[in-house]
Amino acid sequence: MSDPTTLARPVPPSSVVLVSGGSRGLGLAIVTDLLDSGLKVAAFARTVTPELAKLADAHPERTHVGSVDVTDLAAAQAFVRSAEERLGPIDGLVNNAAVGQDSLHVHTATADIARIIETNLTAPLQLTRLVVRRMLAQGRRGRIVNITSICAQRGFPGLVAYSATKGGMDAATRSLARELGGRVLVNAVAPGFFASEMSAVLGQTQLDQIVRRTPTGQLTEPEEVVPVVRLLLRDQTNINGQVIVVDGAASI
Amino acid sequence: MKELSRAQIRDLMGEVLKNQGKALPADDAADLREVGFRSLDFSELALRVEDATGEELNFDAPGLRRIATVGDVLDFLVELQRQ
Repeated sequence: MSDPTTLARPVPPSSVVLVSGGSRGLGLAIVTDLLDSGLKVAAFARTVTPELAKLADAHPERTHVGSVDVTDLAAAQAFVRSAEERLGPIDGLVNNAAVGQDSLHVHTATADIARIIETNLTAPLQLTRLVVRRMLAQGRRGRIVNITSICAQRGFPGLVAYSATKGGMDAATRSLARELGGRVLVNAVAPGFFASEMSAVLGQTQLDQIVRRTPTGQLTEPEEVVPVVRLLLRDQTNINGQVIVVDGAASI
Repeated sequence: MKELSRAQIRDLMGEVLKNQGKALPADDAADLREVGFRSLDFSELALRVEDATGEELNFDAPGLRRIATVGDVLDFLVELQRQ
């Protein structure tokens, strides 16, 4: 069986978006922005924070939230089903849930490496499979945005396993875009380090160094990443299979 | 396990194509490239069969490469249900 041509029809803008890890930080900012843009949003995280609960209360008819560990496939599946019953078919997915790392590789416990890979790589691949199967089974089209990291492209100490998972998601983004033949647009957004997390991960010295090397003179803020995610979910751009770096050119 | 007949799978295949404004020829020897039935359409069809039978159908890509006609699609899915 061959695939000689791609479908000419453009993929419509997403209207019902599933966001994993939507309870705080960038995930919460994405959920907030999509709701502000009038979309329906299903968001889960290990813990539903008061901020996410407040959003759900403010937009009860357009929001579905729940407490789900992204590594629990059965729970994720149940959440997707309940979200679709309430909001309609999901036609957008933002794979944002991830755990960080702050340990040199030689001092990272084997169990911690496994946990990072399971949460940041295996789980989003499973969630993507789940969502895409539902899209294809119903003959629908959609869009996927994977939140990765500049760590996938540049080296940083203390983030070896984390970087490997983000690089894996960048690679999966490209292959999935090919595999889905234009029926589902698949892209990744790779933020640079956020100011809020820098001191915890890299320390003040490295923070200062990165700021000095960044042409825009500032670290990335979640609010600067959100418009790119929205564009990939909503705009007609023909961008597919790409990793878009948002880091003020720190990495070039 | 519920199993779909060749005719039932053919009906589902017709629906997949109809959704794209295409028609399924009556001739099983019809070439999939001429019909415009792509590998993702095959995935959609397989998922519809899964939905109807309640059984997940997993298969490797090499098996798909041998499929060239409408009849090949139907034979493949009939056989896959029995594995």
